[in-house]
Amino acid sequence: MTDTMLTDAAERMFADLCDKAMLDAAEDGAFPSALWNTVAESGFHQLAMPDSGVSLGDAFAVVGIAGRHALPLPLAETLLANRWLAGSDGLATIGQVQDGWIVDAPWGRAADRILGLDAERGACVVVELGEGVQVREGANLAGEPRDAVALPDGAEWLPLLEPAYAYLALARAVASAGCLARVLELTLQYAGEREQFGRAISRFQAIQHSLAVMAGEVAAAGRAADAAVDALDGDRLELEVAVAKARVGEAAGVVAEIAHQVHGAMGFTHEHQLHHFTRRAWAWRDEFGNETHWQRRLGRHLAAGGADGLWAFIATRG
Amino acid sequence: MLQFDRVTLPEETESLRRDVRQFLADNAEHLERPNSDFSTGHDPAFSRKLGSQGWIGMTWPKQYGGSERSFFDRYVVTEELLAAGAPVSAHWIADRQSGNLILGVGTDEQKARYLPPIARGESYFSIGMSEPNSGSDLASVRTRAERVEGGWLINGTKLWSTDAHRNHFMIALVRTEPPSENRHAGFSQIIVDLHKDGVNIRPIRNMAGGEDFNEVVFEDVLVPEDRVVGEPGNGWKQVTSELAYERSGPERFLSGFRVFVELVRAAGPDPEPALAAAIGRIAAHIATLRRMSISVAGMLEGGKSPEVEAALVKGLGNDFEKLLPEIARLAADDSIAAAARFGRFRESLRDTLLLSPSFTIRGGTREILRGVIARGLGLR
Repeated sequence: MTDTMLTDAAERMFADLCDKAMLDAAEDGAFPSALWNTVAESGFHQLAMPDSGVSLGDAFAVVGIAGRHALPLPLAETLLANRWLAGSDGLATIGQVQDGWIVDAPWGRAADRILGLDAERGACVVVELGEGVQVREGANLAGEPRDAVALPDGAEWLPLLEPAYAYLALARAVASAGCLARVLELTLQYAGEREQFGRAISRFQAIQHSLAVMAGEVAAAGRAADAAVDALDGDRLELEVAVAKARVGEAAGVVAEIAHQVHGAMGFTHEHQLHHFTRRAWAWRDEFGNETHWQRRLGRHLAAGGADGLWAFIATRG
Repeated sequence: MLQFDRVTLPEETESLRRDVRQFLADNAEHLERPNSDFSTGHDPAFSRKLGSQGWIGMTWPKQYGGSERSFFDRYVVTEELLAAGAPVSAHWIADRQSGNLILGVGTDEQKARYLPPIARGESYFSIGMSEPNSGSDLASVRTRAERVEGGWLINGTKLWSTDAHRNHFMIALVRTEPPSENRHAGFSQIIVDLHKDGVNIRPIRNMAGGEDFNEVVFEDVLVPEDRVVGEPGNGWKQVTSELAYERSGPERFLSGFRVFVELVRAAGPDPEPALAAAIGRIAAHIATLRRMSISVAGMLEGGKSPEVEAALVKGLGNDFEKLLPEIARLAADDSIAAAARFGRFRESLRDTLLLSPSFTIRGGTREILRGVIARGLGLR
């Protein structure tokens, strides 16, 4: 069972704070310190720490709500870095080690510490941000900061005790599912308000059918993400993450496409808020393994298990 | 917003699942040409065996031949049979909807008369809804039943009635009052004995070569008074509530499952990346649809009538059922598609592709379902 007091509190806070102006400002590159302070004062950045009193599944539920509001903070990364690094409780982020750099670290420029993952080695390095640490700023296609930080000489490698890459992929799947649900809401609202030919466009069957398709994809994304969260404690987490990341990614493309079509030219403007959500949905499906990556992972597992084991994989209780 | 809650199948379903798998292994002679489409495989001997296991009418009271099991138990049996490609079409409609309708609104006499033979796997029903000029617009049906001395006199034509030529009964949706302002008023559902009541049945060959569905003509067919199911005039409401049962089950996304099994068999243990991705893509869809479908089963178990959620699962599931053979076809290069030893894959792919146009038509077209969903979204 999800802790609804926690998720309701997150919903209220993020809904209140994440308005269009906030999202625009964050995209211009300035770290939203006031937002971060409010979130941190409520302890949301520590939810996944082993002694938080909150289940890891509930921490992921909060990541989903953050996705729903396009919260411009590296919440999932902070949650997980603070979980994995003893004594860490500030703004932490996570990137991947590549050629002497930690790359694609959300808000690396503003973090207290950055965890660099090498998923293949099952290890990570930690860099404290401070004087003399070289940072290259970058962004994903949603304009979310994705920074690179130079790896200092002689950085110490620590073992990873949990499947970090799968957790981060799950975080993106969960956030995307939340984001897509919001895109549907925005689109339903717009279709009900926008009038053409003397009536709301939601009265047209062609629009209704598009929205029905969207609702199906959004529901599928939500159910797939929930199932992977439920698998956190089990022995098939990576495979359920594969299901979720692959399915949510497919949904993201369909949902974003229909949302923009229904919004018409209005949704193509920077002034409208839709793009903050659709661009994230596009960006997140490529982060931590796109659909093909996870489909292959799942497909190889199933092929190795053979045709007669296929149904047993699907026919789980949960 | 539509909600698909996390639902976990109860632990006790696991032993039932093992029993069904064992049963299927013990009855392999009925599975020589497995097909996961529920409308294929009319095998009364197999249906009777299922009946003697207590796996038909599972949720019904024992008094009427049922086992008083949960919807989850029924779900597990159903999905195991479909995944294995077992021949379930003979008893399918009777088990899934006709029996439930009779149980829900029928008289005690009707329940005692019709349900036990269904549960034994001996009595089979056809659907009598569509007509030559009434498909998606079901409220336009014109078959009428007139109250006369000794019962009801039926005139009209029913169409696409699957297996009417070999099933025992049909539940026909008929007009018992002339059309009025309220176009949903004045319908009734009547049980027709397909062998004894004098209907004229003409099989219609489908494009896949099967002769499963039929035209059923009523010319002054007299049926006794006690054949009306539920309240005369209440037929529309009854028909629409049947649909939550009809629309959300595993048969709405598993029709092509055997194609998937054969694709994985042909792929071998270490497929090339594109083939592995195709396998993973199909699995991700099926795993997700199944969970959504089980969410709906949970709502049914909880006594709700999730008409919109059921329509959504069916719509999504049917579209996927059409996508599956396409993904499989394109993933199979010549080493599979042309190899003699993978004949089973080709056969399965051909069977499913030829049946696939029906997936998004039967039980409510894609367009009708999207309308139902749109209404659920508050758009209509």
